[in-house]
Amino acid sequence: MTAFTLSPRRRRRLTGIALTVLTYVLLVLMLAPIVWLVLSSLQTRGHLADGVYDFLHPTFAAFGEMWRSVDFGRYFANSLVICTAAAGIATAFASFAGYALARLSFRGSRTFGVSVVATQLIPGSMFLLPLFLGFIWLKQNTPIRLFDTHIGMILVYTAFFTPVAIWFMRYFFQQIPRELEEAAMVDGCTRFVALIRVVLPNAAPGVTATFVYAFLMAWDELLFVTALTEHTAETIPIGIRNFMGNYAEEYAQLMAAGVVSTIPVMIAFFATQRWLVKGLTAGAVKG
Amino acid sequence: MSTHLPTAPIAPPAPSAAPEEAAPEPQRRLTSSRSGRRLAYWLIAPAVVFMVLVHLAPTIGGVVLSFKNLNTFTFSQLFAAPWNGLANYRSILFDSANPLHSGFLGAARNTAIYTAASVGGTLAGGLGLALLLNREFPGRRAVRTLMLAPYVVPSFVVGVLWGFMFQSDSGVINRILVDGTGILSHRPAWLLDHSLLAIVIPTIWRGVPLAMLIFLAGLQSLPRELYEAAAIDGAGPWQRFRYITVPLLRPLIAIQLLFGVIYSAYQYAIPVVMLGGNPGPDADLMMTLIVRQSFSNNLFGFGAAASTLLTLAMLLWVAVWFRAFRRDLDSAA
Repeated sequence: MTAFTLSPRRRRRLTGIALTVLTYVLLVLMLAPIVWLVLSSLQTRGHLADGVYDFLHPTFAAFGEMWRSVDFGRYFANSLVICTAAAGIATAFASFAGYALARLSFRGSRTFGVSVVATQLIPGSMFLLPLFLGFIWLKQNTPIRLFDTHIGMILVYTAFFTPVAIWFMRYFFQQIPRELEEAAMVDGCTRFVALIRVVLPNAAPGVTATFVYAFLMAWDELLFVTALTEHTAETIPIGIRNFMGNYAEEYAQLMAAGVVSTIPVMIAFFATQRWLVKGLTAGAVKG
Repeated sequence: MSTHLPTAPIAPPAPSAAPEEAAPEPQRRLTSSRSGRRLAYWLIAPAVVFMVLVHLAPTIGGVVLSFKNLNTFTFSQLFAAPWNGLANYRSILFDSANPLHSGFLGAARNTAIYTAASVGGTLAGGLGLALLLNREFPGRRAVRTLMLAPYVVPSFVVGVLWGFMFQSDSGVINRILVDGTGILSHRPAWLLDHSLLAIVIPTIWRGVPLAMLIFLAGLQSLPRELYEAAAIDGAGPWQRFRYITVPLLRPLIAIQLLFGVIYSAYQYAIPVVMLGGNPGPDADLMMTLIVRQSFSNNLFGFGAAASTLLTLAMLLWVAVWFRAFRRDLDSAA
């Protein structure tokens, strides 16, 4: 245990240091594109066109111009309204359904659980075309306006992200001890009242994480908003594509718009990261 | 499998599995009441209504549409467009004179390549990072958190950013690979000549953090004694990885394969932002093809038929996957 053990131990320590260095190098590589996005947004259009950057003189000019070139404020507001409403409603629906799956046994619970997963197997284009035609039909034949309206997009996104939200909420409810609601029910609450007054408050971090996740997904959605909106309810992705179509040379503004569209979701994600990660990993394991 | 080490999963690496499965008894007692059952139906009702209205009914509508002749000339009739029988399918699958036929086959091939490369790269990268992060080193928590950042960048921003970085003349990737280091002697036009690769890389970049997270959760739940026992028996690091880690992570690999393939096969945002609505025959994917033919060329019948075929392909994939990984599902359930 003396002279010979030193050498392998030192070798192991060196390997450890090398692996740590490698980890940090990979971290830098993973973050580099994001850093590049931010750096590019702080350059002038000319620097970006040349590919020669002036890092010593960053300018926030692009962040001012981008709101004027394209009506980015409107896209941003639309995204906020539609995604907040859809994520909120989806989380509410998912809280109910997730509770039923986690705690109650009812005929069809298995079918329901499988259907929730099955919704993820269908390509968006499969229901996009009929939804589009249906929205157009409603517009032509009834006073119901879903095509190119906030309500229409909120309904669609609510439905999209409810299944994943159900899976999240089911997991978070399973983490809460049954005794809580049992005690409330012994005290005379109905189960529903116990759910609202006792279980949900205790699941608050999970509810928040579910809301944030649904919000991230809705914020990211491009396909449906492309097909189902025209010029009223378009969200940020459409604004970005407008930028690319009409201001192809304005790279600094495009990068600035990229930064602005990323900041809200970054903040939301990292603020709720601890719980979100639990939902994400549990969701994968549970499928 | 020529090892004395156990190869069957011992404990499913399910970080969440412990608490809720502890007490199945009270569940049965509590919930068999009729009022509990009625409440359950009320609780799932809103979700069911939305899933029927936005998932189920339109999917049926899509299948119906795939047998219709809905194009520019019949668009005003919407769902009352004339029936077309199997003509949409026939032209896609067998009519070699029809440009839609070659377009579909090309997009199917590209989608298969894109999916295999993205999922393979994402899982390999995620597992590699997870193994690196599953050690004690200074700053580990911060590194783990920061690694998640690419996952939070919206897909359309990922497309904008990488499309910008991949630019041939002024893009930073060529500035580094050609001007900075001289690794490449010419300036590749990534978005034109290597367009499939150009969309695979950002897809992996955005997907790796989630895979890392899931693998890391799995690794941290692996029984430590197993590794110690194997080390005492003389198993090297590679053998321990091959015969302990991989088998125990199989359920996690399985589930990520399942959803990774589906998610990649339906990818739309990153390709369309980077390459536009018509990426050309080298990188046209199923979704870009379907959306373009449906909404730019008003070939809704074609779009619906192609979507139905894509759905069938995915059902086939789920069946294959289920056969391959059934054993792992049992152990994880």
